Amino acid sequence: MKRSQQRVVILQLIMALKENNSWCGETHIQKAAYCLQELMKVDTDFDFILYKHGPYSFDLCDELAAMRADELLAIKLNTFPYGPSLRVANLGKEMVERFPKTICQYKDRVDFIARKIGAKGVAQLERLATALYVTSKSEHDTVDERAKRIHDLKPHVSFDNAQIAVEEIDAMKRESANIV
Amino acid sequence: MAKTSHEIRDPIHVFIRLDSQERKVLDSRPFQRLRYIHQLALTYLLYPGATHRRFEHSLGVMELASRVFDIVTDPAKVSDAVKELFPPINSEDERRYWRRVLRMAALCHDIGHLPFSHAAEEELFPPGWDHERMTMELIQSDEMKEIWENARPPLSSEDIVKLALGPKKAKELQFDDWETMLSEIIVGDSFGVDRMDYLLRDSYHAGVAYGRFDHHRLIDTLRILPPPLYPYGNQLDNSKEPSLGVEKGGIHSAEALLLARYFMFTQVYCHHVRRIYDIHLKDFLIDWLGETKYPTDIDAFLKLTDNEITSDLRDACLDAERPGHIHADRIINRKHFKLLYTRNPTDFKINSDAANLVKEAAVKEYGEDKVRLDGYSKKGGITDFPVLSDDGKTVLSALQESQVLAKIPSVVVNYVFVDPNIRDEALRWFNKGKAQIITPQKEEQK
Repeated sequence: MKRSQQRVVILQLIMALKENNSWCGETHIQKAAYCLQELMKVDTDFDFILYKHGPYSFDLCDELAAMRADELLAIKLNTFPYGPSLRVANLGKEMVERFPKTICQYKDRVDFIARKIGAKGVAQLERLATALYVTSKSEHDTVDERAKRIHDLKPHVSFDNAQIAVEEIDAMKRESANIV
Repeated sequence: MAKTSHEIRDPIHVFIRLDSQERKVLDSRPFQRLRYIHQLALTYLLYPGATHRRFEHSLGVMELASRVFDIVTDPAKVSDAVKELFPPINSEDERRYWRRVLRMAALCHDIGHLPFSHAAEEELFPPGWDHERMTMELIQSDEMKEIWENARPPLSSEDIVKLALGPKKAKELQFDDWETMLSEIIVGDSFGVDRMDYLLRDSYHAGVAYGRFDHHRLIDTLRILPPPLYPYGNQLDNSKEPSLGVEKGGIHSAEALLLARYFMFTQVYCHHVRRIYDIHLKDFLIDWLGETKYPTDIDAFLKLTDNEITSDLRDACLDAERPGHIHADRIINRKHFKLLYTRNPTDFKINSDAANLVKEAAVKEYGEDKVRLDGYSKKGGITDFPVLSDDGKTVLSALQESQVLAKIPSVVVNYVFVDPNIRDEALRWFNKGKAQIITPQKEEQK
């Protein structure tokens, strides 16, 4: 994927997340991009590692910063206690309009992810994306084995919550099979 | 009786003290090599005072790292919730172990740098190698392992690698939350002491004031904090994973650090003449290496410093038959390429990829050897970190507390340089065809 197309997919994802009531903070975008790449096999070519609040890509983080610098994205500050969020700026919208083919190619997969996780908060996304990360490394392990692994990696995530997240990821995988 | 504590004079931190175990690292070949690696490559051609080396920077990073560690892991300054998630804080022995690992990691964080620091690793190292991987290899080399194993208590070389490189660069290693937080002390985006030291030190040696900030106050107010709690729907929903933040009283020092970074990048690190010298140096090194790449064998790697390259650069400048002569001549005789195009607000609103298009068009017009493209974009995400309010309990977001943070612009530069001999002609050509060159094209539908 060329860099311009990669940027268009990120913009498309942020717009779809917004439509599905996402807060669109950087963490929301990171986790959604991870799900898009790992679950929906959209080859955005970001390198994700397990880091703060689950899978995280420093490349994506740098790209979001570059997109802000290019005024494709803008930070929206919100009054306390609401955190900052990212929105697609006018130049970003113009860029999306110039790439109809790319938008069409990934629309179903982007919409699926946005629908599934758009309304989730940071803690839920942390659990869910970590569950996907653990599942991708040990697909054949049982739900309990994967939940234990999540709890070991992120001790602040309880075993019970980890279990729920693993089950949800398994369900999403089944449901997404028709689209991927 | 043998001396067990050693002091080194330093222009930034006054005294840097180290014990005999740390002295062994100082005396090792990989660390001594840093005496001959310039911190800012060829920047001394513009800022003549900027001849400082990675050696003193690494000592400074060690000094600051332990200052931060002592503050943020002081049990009196850590909440019960954080203590529960980070058990090492509760154990004197564990704290002592990790403090030592942190100082060793800080000492070693730059030992894998190529001559002239960052210049063009991708082209000069064999595929799959960069200075971080070289750093890892050196920390885990037999020579250094002997030091780690003979330390009391013995130190794990993997722990040192983790803290020296952080999760971003040591991707194949699994970090727990404690190790992630400790690595942030060295390489963290907001409060990493690597950055604190280089801003202070580079500005001191370059003779500019932009990099100065009140690091004493900042370090004194650093804390390990959970993220701020944001409401989500009807519930408070956020991760509980802690990270480095500040007490509210330190927020202005944090702003000053981030402004210092902005000014140093715009005024020093991204100065167009510094950038073009880096490119000429890279071109020289590619020719100088010929068919080969920089050695990754440890003995061969340790033999190469700025001194060997500088000597060959001067020889190549004097002898037209030597590889890299033309690039050496550009550096030594100050015949560097000149600016044809700089990214600017008007053009990037038309097309954010304008510089690239200008470069492609110029190459088509004048040939590859007459044109160079350069770009830098600030790395890292939205600068936000937890802030402990005056009540000592509520954790807020820095972006909401600060009137400044969100307004600090991102540093982005794009330059197109051309050979000085064609610059006037190239400027006329560009001004005539600019609109056509930078107008964006619509993706073709199939």
